Amino acid sequence: MKKRLTDIFCIFQIHLARLRREAGPFLLAAIIFPITMFLFASGIAGQSNETVSNNAKLHFLAASMVFSLSLTAISWLGYLMLENRFTGKLKLFATLPLAPSSYVFGILIFAVLQGSLGTISMLVAAKILGVQTNIGGVFGVLLLALTVFIALLALCGISVIVAARVRSFSEGSLYTDALGAGIVLLAPVYYSSDSMPRLLQWLGWILPTTYINSAISKILAGNPFVGGEISILVLMALVLLTVGFKTLDWREE
Amino acid sequence: MNNSPENNLAVRVENLTKRYKNGTHATCGIDFVVRCGECVAILGANGAGKTTFLRQLTTELKPTSGAIEIFGIDAIQDANKAKLLMGVTPQEAGVFETLTVTEHLEFFGKLKGLDKNSAKIQTDELIKNLELEAEAKKQVGMLSGGQRRRILIGLAFLGKPPLLILDEPTTGLDPQSRRTVWILLKQIIASGVTVIFSTHYLEEAEQIANRIAFIDGGKIVADGSLTELRAGFPNKYRLSYLNGNGQIAEPHTEFFADFAAARKFIGEREISEYQLATASLEDVYFSIVGKSLTDGNDEQ
Repeated sequence: MKKRLTDIFCIFQIHLARLRREAGPFLLAAIIFPITMFLFASGIAGQSNETVSNNAKLHFLAASMVFSLSLTAISWLGYLMLENRFTGKLKLFATLPLAPSSYVFGILIFAVLQGSLGTISMLVAAKILGVQTNIGGVFGVLLLALTVFIALLALCGISVIVAARVRSFSEGSLYTDALGAGIVLLAPVYYSSDSMPRLLQWLGWILPTTYINSAISKILAGNPFVGGEISILVLMALVLLTVGFKTLDWREE
Repeated sequence: MNNSPENNLAVRVENLTKRYKNGTHATCGIDFVVRCGECVAILGANGAGKTTFLRQLTTELKPTSGAIEIFGIDAIQDANKAKLLMGVTPQEAGVFETLTVTEHLEFFGKLKGLDKNSAKIQTDELIKNLELEAEAKKQVGMLSGGQRRRILIGLAFLGKPPLLILDEPTTGLDPQSRRTVWILLKQIIASGVTVIFSTHYLEEAEQIANRIAFIDGGKIVADGSLTELRAGFPNKYRLSYLNGNGQIAEPHTEFFADFAAARKFIGEREISEYQLATASLEDVYFSIVGKSLTDGNDEQ
């Protein structure tokens, strides 16, 4: 058990070192781009200089937080795992007495750190931009942290599957880029479900971003009843990570 | 198979076969034994099956059939236990560019099960032995290809495993760095560590290994000490000469069983420009495999 924890922490530290040189892309994906999307959505909603209600702003803030999590966990971490695989770094781990799950958990901790930084930054930016949140004390903060954590598990599950299954770096990059933005735009995150075509409404039911957005929106508005969303996300995380672990094998056939 | 350390066997391979999905047979029923403390060089042209063979030993590649034991442990069924006993330098592995040299070695030392203090001590030793002191605090991304390769070799040595499997460890190194690695390898071999390495450099095999195996078409076609391999090659002398006589000079090579026969040949043909030497390992390889080490196809 001690060896496993050491392994996970080492993998986390190895990847944390990337932020020394690659803090720029992280800031862009996790903070700058989502804030821009928040401003863009708020601007579009407030056509003809109408004042955008705080409820609408909260809705766009939640959507942009989901966007931040998705870009961090799928586009950025997916790219990182693809790079590990296709530039021979994964070979170094494969030759060590190291379980593939320790590798994934190390990366997950890195994802949680980045997701937390992104979420906190988004909340600070929202405060500066005058958005009134109603998270409601320590319980609300813990509930938001739990939602973000489970959301990251589910989204990282998608990254692990893509990174383990694709046959080339370029194929994988296309998938992670498309999925990172796609599963936000194809789900009722920035738009309401009713305003979307029926096909996308059905698609929305199976995308984790739908439930992440619903949970975060409720928590930001002071509604703590997110048990349903969290249960579905836990189930999705379990399924996606289980498939991911089964797909990721050190040993090639 | 009974391959316990008491039997003095580090590696035992039986009927090892790898057939890829496209039908290519990369290894075809290899039987191979390495005793504790031996240093075996695997020589073969590109596509001969060297890397596939070594990747099966390191558990990276699942064999189609056959058995592998590392110090008595079934490496196919119990890969993690087997991996605890070996240090590996893969042929094409990447390094983590944003880590410093020290961090890279220390983190991988911990991943090999060393405690913080031992990881630090071994890292410092390796940095010194691999002549990377000036680069210790630099990020790996700022180093040359040869320096990165030396880090990969260092990663294999961490934890002082009893078996090292190195796939073309010195490819891409300049002559000075290559000799640094040779010195380190010789020290490690002298300490009783078993080493299996593949190489394209015949000089490397001659300098370091006490046993050489030729691999061709996925099979071990010859295996023995340098002396044994040479003994199996009847032509001990190699004559390289220019056949001129006023015309355009053409290079020729002839082999002779004894020195006198070679001198007689030179005298009879009045050859003035020639080099007479004992047959090299490459000559032995050529006589057995029927092609030069530089021939062949790229390996999968």
